[in-house]
Amino acid sequence: MFQQILALVIIAFFLIRLFWQKRKKQIGANEFIFWLVFWCLAAILILSLKWIDKLVADLGFSGMGIEVLLYLGIAVLFYFIFRLRLKLEKIEKNITKIIREMAIKDKE
Amino acid sequence: MIKNKIIVVTPAYNEEKTIVEVINKVKPLVDEIVIVDDGSSDQTVQLAEQQGVTVLRHLINRGQGAALQTGNQYALKNNADIIVHFDADGQFLAEEIKDIVQPLEQGEAEVVFGSRFLEKKSEIPWFKEKIILPIGRIVNKFFVGKSLTDSQNGFRALSRKAAEKIKIENNEMAHNTEIQAKVFKNKLKVKEVPVTIIFNDFGQRFGGGIKIIKDLFLAKLMD
Repeated sequence: MFQQILALVIIAFFLIRLFWQKRKKQIGANEFIFWLVFWCLAAILILSLKWIDKLVADLGFSGMGIEVLLYLGIAVLFYFIFRLRLKLEKIEKNITKIIREMAIKDKE
Repeated sequence: MIKNKIIVVTPAYNEEKTIVEVINKVKPLVDEIVIVDDGSSDQTVQLAEQQGVTVLRHLINRGQGAALQTGNQYALKNNADIIVHFDADGQFLAEEIKDIVQPLEQGEAEVVFGSRFLEKKSEIPWFKEKIILPIGRIVNKFFVGKSLTDSQNGFRALSRKAAEKIKIENNEMAHNTEIQAKVFKNKLKVKEVPVTIIFNDFGQRFGGGIKIIKDLFLAKLMD
């Protein structure tokens, strides 16, 4: 119970920070929505840990609900890393394009 | 027979030791040699410019594949009929340019690859011949579908049509496999001719090979 409250306090902290950043216009609308959904989802999951425990047990996993959340978290992280890599690759390609144009233009 | 305009593309990254020799050997044999400097930090650019050849400069290092594509685009713009890729490190023999160009001039092929494993015998270090190159062939077979006798040879000639179709997107060394894949995909007529390679320390090492495989996987995912 205490752990859940602590987690919610941490989430509340990040949410407040998020709104603060939004008010100071440090983040775009899309990013704001993404993190809002992210933290709200985290809060909902923490509030429904009991239910998740039961669900996980019913599905036949031996672990606790919180562990399953952790696994899911890692999977999501990997997905983001993958997306980031693709994005980086795209940026690299664009840099090459610019460098190439400059090299050829220079000789005209 | 109408004379074809042959432009040699030589990517160079810190090749001050060999660049002058390569230019002087190649220049008399072709219509033009263009050096693509890939952000060298040594005297490569100055030395090349002193020889009076075209030097395209990448402001920052983008890798050999990127440099080759820059050279291709320049050559196409300057009405090349045939584009030859020739390394700046002195591994290839300039006299063999005519051999690699010949099938294109006679209309036998649209792309010609040099191969170390036909007739002429290059002295290939044991580790490279028995370990690295066979792995290279397996990787190539996986990504290209077909296999050349020499999967990792940078000495090649492209017809204008082929160069227009093949856009090298892989910035680094994986371009070698990429070019082959695109050649087969576009159903271009291919020929391999024997070439001699003078081995020095500058070729691909094992770590480089791993990186190639990684780049190829990434390219597949991007498609």
